[in-house]
Amino acid sequence: MADERDPKVSQRYRELGSEEPPRHVEEAILAASRRAVRVRPAPLVPPTGRRRWYFPLAAAAVIMLSVAVTWHMQVERPDPDGYVASAPAVEAPKEMKAKEEQKPAAKAFTPDPTQESREQAMRDAPARAAPQAAPPPVAGARAPEAARADRVFGKLSEQTIEPPEKWLERIAELRREGKHEEADKALEEFRKRYPGYKVPEAALGK
Amino acid sequence: MEGADEELMLAYRDGNAGAFQTLYGRHRTRLYRFVLRSVEERGAAEELFQDVWLRVIEARNRYAPRARFTTWLYSIAHNRLVDHWRRKGLALVDLENVEVEGNNPDPARHAEARQNLLRFARALEALPPAQREAFLLHEEAGMSVPEIAQATGAGEEAAKSRLRYAIAKLRTAVDDG
Repeated sequence: MADERDPKVSQRYRELGSEEPPRHVEEAILAASRRAVRVRPAPLVPPTGRRRWYFPLAAAAVIMLSVAVTWHMQVERPDPDGYVASAPAVEAPKEMKAKEEQKPAAKAFTPDPTQESREQAMRDAPARAAPQAAPPPVAGARAPEAARADRVFGKLSEQTIEPPEKWLERIAELRREGKHEEADKALEEFRKRYPGYKVPEAALGK
Repeated sequence: MEGADEELMLAYRDGNAGAFQTLYGRHRTRLYRFVLRSVEERGAAEELFQDVWLRVIEARNRYAPRARFTTWLYSIAHNRLVDHWRRKGLALVDLENVEVEGNNPDPARHAEARQNLLRFARALEALPPAQREAFLLHEEAGMSVPEIAQATGAGEEAAKSRLRYAIAKLRTAVDDG
């Protein structure tokens, strides 16, 4: 295109002036260019490479954590049954003797498997807690665990602390004395406490 | 920031705001004059000039250096001008108030220079739109005939012819002075 160029024409054209864009227009353009860079569009394709593991890994971690917390809460939750049994457990030696004496009555007991495991847990609990249970048993004083449970669940009646054999014996005695209404109430309470316990005829009053 | 225009545009596409600033600095005055001398009023020229650059910003993600950046930039400007001409009709910016640069101590010579310049401005204004555009692209953007053809969507022969006619008419205006 060199042959088309005319220096005189170009020179005259240059003499027309060298106008420049106004400042406010230039500022608007540069501001728009910076804004456009700051606001970048989100990726339209799913993450690739290492990043594609992030989501499944995060989901698995959340599930694991949820299961662990739930399980831990179930294990740690104070079981009213267990707590009730722990109170008299401080008098374990005395009770052991009583149990030895009442072996025939114990044979009649056919607990369901869940009840049996719960009872086992109740028996094991004081044994496990024994090394930590620093205060020695004091007559008339309740175990610290029982006091703590009282704060949580409210104070239970003394009746619920009574061992099942003694409780049933007392119900049978009430029946012998003709106090059937009182015996029925006590039996109802007993069944609530020990749903799987087999009640002897003497206590049933039939 | 140094680099070819195309590299700067790619850098801006990838998030470098400074690259755009450099690019803008290189082309701002020439593009502005090209637009200013293609439309009827300064306000419209400013609006079109801003619009061209905003289109460059918007199109950054689609930008691929298939041609020179200059060709791409002026093709955007050409399309906007065509839209503008369709709406408003073609006319040049008022060149009556053009001032002769420099200090000429001789008032007679100063007046003569101003007359020569006005004659040239009127000749430029009188050019058919396609010839004037070809001339402005040649002078302001430094485009060759093939680049003018590419930017305006015309054939090379047509672009060459337009430019040749434009220069011939303007030369007459210069020689008359």
